[in-house]
Amino acid sequence: MKTKTKKKILPWIFIAPTFFFLGMFTYYPAFRSLFLSFMRMNMATPEPVFTGLDNFKRAFSTPLFWQVAGNNLFYAFVTVPITMALALVLALLVNQKIFGSSFFKTIYFYPNVIPMAAASMIWLYIFLPGYGFLNYILGKIGIPNIEWVSDSRFAMWALIIVAIWKNAGYYMVIFLGGLQQLPTEIYEVATIDGASAWRKFWKITWPLLSPTTFFAFIIAVINSFQAVDQIYLMTRGGPANTTNMFVYYIYQVAFKYWDFGYASALTVILLVLLLIFTVLAFFFLERRVFYESGERL
Amino acid sequence: MTKRGRTTRLVSIALMIVFAVILAFPLYWIVVTAFKDPTEVFSMVPKWLPEKWTLGNFKEVFNIIPFGRYYFNTILYAFGLLAVQLVTVTLAAYAFARMQFRFKKILFMILLVQLMIAPQTLIVPNYLTISNMGLLDTKTAIALPYVASAIGVFLLRQGFAAIPRELEEAATIDGCGTFRFMISIAIPLLKPTYLAFTLISVTYHWNEFFWPLIVTDSVKARTLTVGLAMLAEASESAAAWTLLMAATLLVILPLIIFFAIFQKTFISSFMQSGMKG
Repeated sequence: MKTKTKKKILPWIFIAPTFFFLGMFTYYPAFRSLFLSFMRMNMATPEPVFTGLDNFKRAFSTPLFWQVAGNNLFYAFVTVPITMALALVLALLVNQKIFGSSFFKTIYFYPNVIPMAAASMIWLYIFLPGYGFLNYILGKIGIPNIEWVSDSRFAMWALIIVAIWKNAGYYMVIFLGGLQQLPTEIYEVATIDGASAWRKFWKITWPLLSPTTFFAFIIAVINSFQAVDQIYLMTRGGPANTTNMFVYYIYQVAFKYWDFGYASALTVILLVLLLIFTVLAFFFLERRVFYESGERL
Repeated sequence: MTKRGRTTRLVSIALMIVFAVILAFPLYWIVVTAFKDPTEVFSMVPKWLPEKWTLGNFKEVFNIIPFGRYYFNTILYAFGLLAVQLVTVTLAAYAFARMQFRFKKILFMILLVQLMIAPQTLIVPNYLTISNMGLLDTKTAIALPYVASAIGVFLLRQGFAAIPRELEEAATIDGCGTFRFMISIAIPLLKPTYLAFTLISVTYHWNEFFWPLIVTDSVKARTLTVGLAMLAEASESAAAWTLLMAATLLVILPLIIFFAIFQKTFISSFMQSGMKG
C-alpha cells in the first residue's frame, strides 16, 4: 500500500518544479495579459480600471496598429519562403557524398550560433552608407549608394537580409534531418530507371519531404512574428514606423508610454495569432513525437 | 562516374563555395575590422586586411565599458541557469518517460506550448511579475522565465524512454530504487543528450537580448549582448566601427570556439530538438 501511494505521488513531485515555473512565467502572464487588456492601466491610472473592450477598439482603429500588422506579415511572408528555399538548397548540397561537405555544413550553420545582437552590429557596419561593404560591392555594378537602414524603401529589406543570413543554416539542419529519414531504395530504383536528379527531386524528395517543409514553415512564421532584437538594434522600428513590428510595438507602448493596458491588449492579439499557428504546428509535432519515441505516451 | 554525374558534382561544389563565401563574409569582416586602426574604416575602397594589425580596439573596449563584468554576469547567468534546469528538466523528463500518471498526455502538450511563445512576447506581464517580486535588475530576474524548459524535457524524455524496461526490472530485482536507478544507471546513459541540451541552453542564453534588456538597468546585472547594445548607443555619433567590431568579436568568440569544438554535436542537437529554445 505504501509503495503504491508513493508510486502515485512521485510523478507529480517530479513534474512540480517545471509546472510551477511554466505556470508562473508562461500561463499566468498570458492570462494576466488577457485580464489587463480589459483595463485602463497607464501613467495617469496606475491602478487598473475596467474599460471593457476599449483597448481592442483602440487597436483596431489605430492606423499604426494596422501598419505594424502589415509590416509583420510582409516581413514573415517574404523572409520565410526565401529562407526555406535557401535552406533546402543548402541541405541538398551538403547531403551529397562530396568531400568537405561537413565543412560547408559548419560554415552555413555558424550564423545561427551567434547572438542576433552581434549579427545586427556586423550588418549595420556592412550596410553603412558611404563606407559600407555592401554599397561598395553594389557600386561596382553601378548601383548608387543606398541608405539601407534609414531609407524607408530599404529598411525592411535590410532586416529581411539579416534574418535570412542568420536562419538559413538552422532550417538547413531541419531539412537535413528530414532528408536523412527518406528511404534510399526508392532513389536506387529511380536511378536504375534513368531518372534525372531534377526529376528525382520533384517526384520523390519534394513530396516525401513535405511534412518537414510544412513544420519548418510554421516554426519560421511563429519566430518571424516574435522578431525584435534586430529591430531594436538596427532600425528602432523606423524610419516612420516602416519596420515597426508586433513585439517592438508592444515594447514602445509599454516601456516608452507606460500604457500597460493597451500593451496587454496588443500582447493578447499577438498570442492569439501565435495560438493559431501553434495549433497547426502541434498537429505535426505530435506525429513527430510519436514517430521518434516509438511508444505511446 | 557518368559525365552527367561529374557535371552535377562540379556545379554542386561551385555552388557550395559561393554560398560559403557569402555566408562566411560577415564573420571575416568582424575579425579583420576588429584589428584595424579606427581611421582605416574611412576609405572608399574597403581594405581586405588591416594595414597594421592592432590590439588597440580591444584595450579600448575594456576601458570604455565594464566588459569583464558583463562576461562574469553572462557566465554566471547562463551556467547558473543551466545547473537549475538540469534538475528540473531531468525530473520532469523522467516522469513523462517512465512513470504513469493521469493527464500525462495533456500535461505534456501544455508544456510544449512554451516552445511557441518566445519570452519577448510576454515582456509586459512578466516585467510586472518581476517588478512585484522586487527582482528588477538582478540576474535571477533574467533566469526565472527559463527554469522550466520544454525543449529540455522534450529532448531528455526521448532519451529516458529509450532505456529498455528489462534494465529497470533487473535493477529493481537487485534492490535498486527509482532514485538509485535514475542517478546511477539512467542519467549516465544519457550523456550525449545532456551534452546536446547543455549546448542548446548555454548558446540560447548567451545570445538572449531583449528580456535582459528590459529587466536590467545597471552594470551589476547586464549581460554581454545588452552591454554591446549600450556601447553601440554610446558610440553612435563617433562611428567607432573598429571598436564595435572588437566588442562584437569579444561577445561571439566563446561561442565560435565552443561551436568549432563541438560542431558535430551542435548540429545534431539542433536537428534532434527540431526547434529553437
